[in-house]
Amino acid sequence: MTQRQGNGPRHSLELRVNPIACDAHGLCMELLPELIIADPWGYPVIAPGPVPARLESLARRAVADCPTLALLLTKRP
Amino acid sequence: MTAMPGARAPAPGDLRLIVRDEPLSLAEHARWYGPLPAPGRPADLIAEIERSGLTGRGGAAFPAGRKIRAVAQAAGARSASGAIVVANGSESEPASRKDSVLLSHAPHLVLDGVELCAGAVGASTGYVCVSPQSPGAAQAVTQAVAERDRARPGGLPVQVLATPDGYLSGQETALISALNGGPPLPTFVPPRPSDRGVRRRPTLVLNVETLANVALIARFGGGWFRSAGTPGAPGSALVTVTGAVGRPGVREIPLGTPLGEVLRRSGLSPGSAAVLSGGYFGTWLPLPAALRVPVSEEGMRAAGAALGCGVLAVLPGGGCGLAETARITGFLADESAGQCGPCRNGMPALADALHRIAFGRPGQEVIGWAQQLTGLVAGRGACHLPDGAAGLVRSALTVFAADLRSHAQHGPCPGAARPAILPVPARRPE
Amino acid sequence: MIASGHISAIVVTSSTPLWYATRATGLVALVLLTGSMAMGLLSSVRFQRPDWPRFVTLGLHRNLSLLALAFTVVHVLTTVLDSFVAIPLQDAFIPFISSYRPIWLGLGAIAFDLMLALIITSLLRGRMGLRSWRLVHWTAYGCWPVAVLHGLGTGTDTPVRWVLALTALCVLAITGLTLWRLALAWPARPVASTAGLVVVVLVLIASGAWLRAGPLAPGWSARSGTHSSSQARAEPPPHRERR
Repeated sequence: MTQRQGNGPRHSLELRVNPIACDAHGLCMELLPELIIADPWGYPVIAPGPVPARLESLARRAVADCPTLALLLTKRP
Repeated sequence: MTAMPGARAPAPGDLRLIVRDEPLSLAEHARWYGPLPAPGRPADLIAEIERSGLTGRGGAAFPAGRKIRAVAQAAGARSASGAIVVANGSESEPASRKDSVLLSHAPHLVLDGVELCAGAVGASTGYVCVSPQSPGAAQAVTQAVAERDRARPGGLPVQVLATPDGYLSGQETALISALNGGPPLPTFVPPRPSDRGVRRRPTLVLNVETLANVALIARFGGGWFRSAGTPGAPGSALVTVTGAVGRPGVREIPLGTPLGEVLRRSGLSPGSAAVLSGGYFGTWLPLPAALRVPVSEEGMRAAGAALGCGVLAVLPGGGCGLAETARITGFLADESAGQCGPCRNGMPALADALHRIAFGRPGQEVIGWAQQLTGLVAGRGACHLPDGAAGLVRSALTVFAADLRSHAQHGPCPGAARPAILPVPARRPE
Repeated sequence: MIASGHISAIVVTSSTPLWYATRATGLVALVLLTGSMAMGLLSSVRFQRPDWPRFVTLGLHRNLSLLALAFTVVHVLTTVLDSFVAIPLQDAFIPFISSYRPIWLGLGAIAFDLMLALIITSLLRGRMGLRSWRLVHWTAYGCWPVAVLHGLGTGTDTPVRWVLALTALCVLAITGLTLWRLALAWPARPVASTAGLVVVVLVLIASGAWLRAGPLAPGWSARSGTHSSSQARAEPPPHRERR
């Protein structure tokens, strides 16, 4: 993804997990330890706030790699 | 909107929702409140409800007008099939009685609300879901539906159903799942019910008390609605007062009434220790300090609590708030849907920690672990059950801090051995 | 279709490199498919070590699948281009219509079709919903054994010792990992797990028996439907003078 300079604010992205679909496979926290850590039972705890631009491609990979498609990347309004 | 001729708009101090002990028949209902207003433009009704500031009376206090507008917009965008209106009288909160009482006494108000909302969102079907513990309410609503069918055949088809047993069954997405023939368990949002709910159609789920208020606003206007209550919390609300009071029961109060006034009217005993506001999902407030707190969502929030579904459960002076909380937390853990890892794992751990705190000699580690668990479960499930439990436990550890210290030093107090003030339903067989 | 009886050295000479390529790419594709299947099974048993995170398993699984597909495509192309035996392109997609060893080539078509389905659905996984994707991905348990049987039945190198050993290694690896997978499923689903075990054992026994009575027994090329004109080539060349 290329950074657009001076074109106004980009949509910022937010990571969310579908807790029903999540089965604690743990790939997301391996790929994105800056934003996702494990709780005592192996389930993801996601840092609140927007995804920093430098981590966006890793976040997209984590979303694609989730075995149960539980990790979601949504646009912040 | 102006009041219909022949009907009396309730004065600010009057009871609005439950006006006498016996239920009103269709004819009596029409005489008392005036006939159901003819359906005008849907946009007008929605605007009036927004003007009234009516918020959901099921516990979430979401602005009703906004919810109805969202469903109307979604239904308008999909011209093929109609929307669906669901009147939620499930009352899955064990300590609450208000929805069943309302349905038993004023079913036509609720059904008016269903009809009006159906017109506003373009719905072709309505459901009324009643508590499985309340056959009287089910009967009253079924009779009322039959009365309306006889008086005006060809009206909105309304189905009356009993919500399945279970604490979560009345939750919005769980109820929709049950209506779709699935398990009565919450589902992940998106898709929102307003976009895709029952039979994949835009679905409006409103508490029965909210719908009753819609019926009144359609007759007497949003301005009239605001004549009771406070600017930030307009209107009246039904509360269930229970626990250690002389006259427990359901009362209608103008929002913003001081808690002390509400409790005294129900026979509050002096020396009562605390009150649980909002049900098993709610938060503790200390007495007598909280007597001044206005009974409304904004008043409660300012005091660090929540009104929720309007349950006010009083703990007597000799009772042990930690024991009550431990029992309730155990109940909530049992009622977990078990779909989400943090709740499925964290809730039993939290219940266990509370049990040790209430009935043992808790060291600092278990108290710290309980605090940590509240942070680990809150906000990490598909529904708000763990959030409610976290709020309940946090408030208990604060309000009953003195008891906590006493338990830590001397073990459980005599109050912990007393029978439960807040009854917890027996564990359902799997 | 080459006129029967014409086994001219010139024809043999011009198609032999393609024939070798077919056999080589077939073997390599099998090894890669085995590797991919192994990574898939490792993922399903949630294998993880401090120096082997799960995304490595997943990354290898994906890359090995794509490589296996690439080699399979080359394998198909060299087979089709090889004019010694007429195998048109559609035989690679539609099973059992070939005139050359129809059953065993047909298994290859099935395996190829399944590979395509598995890979295409995985590329579109985000858009197709998890349940449909999972349904298709279960066919991987069928794709791999079918590919192995295709190799044993069609392949002219089956009796060659190191080829047999390589195939046996692949079968051992996948069988072991599958048993691990079944063992993991046993506490929650004992019936399905036991049924799976029975299937694995039966398939192994049946395949072993078929191997001994079929490809490893003399006269297989005739019995499997190799036409007389290509039969001379169907036996593995004993000497390397045939150029």
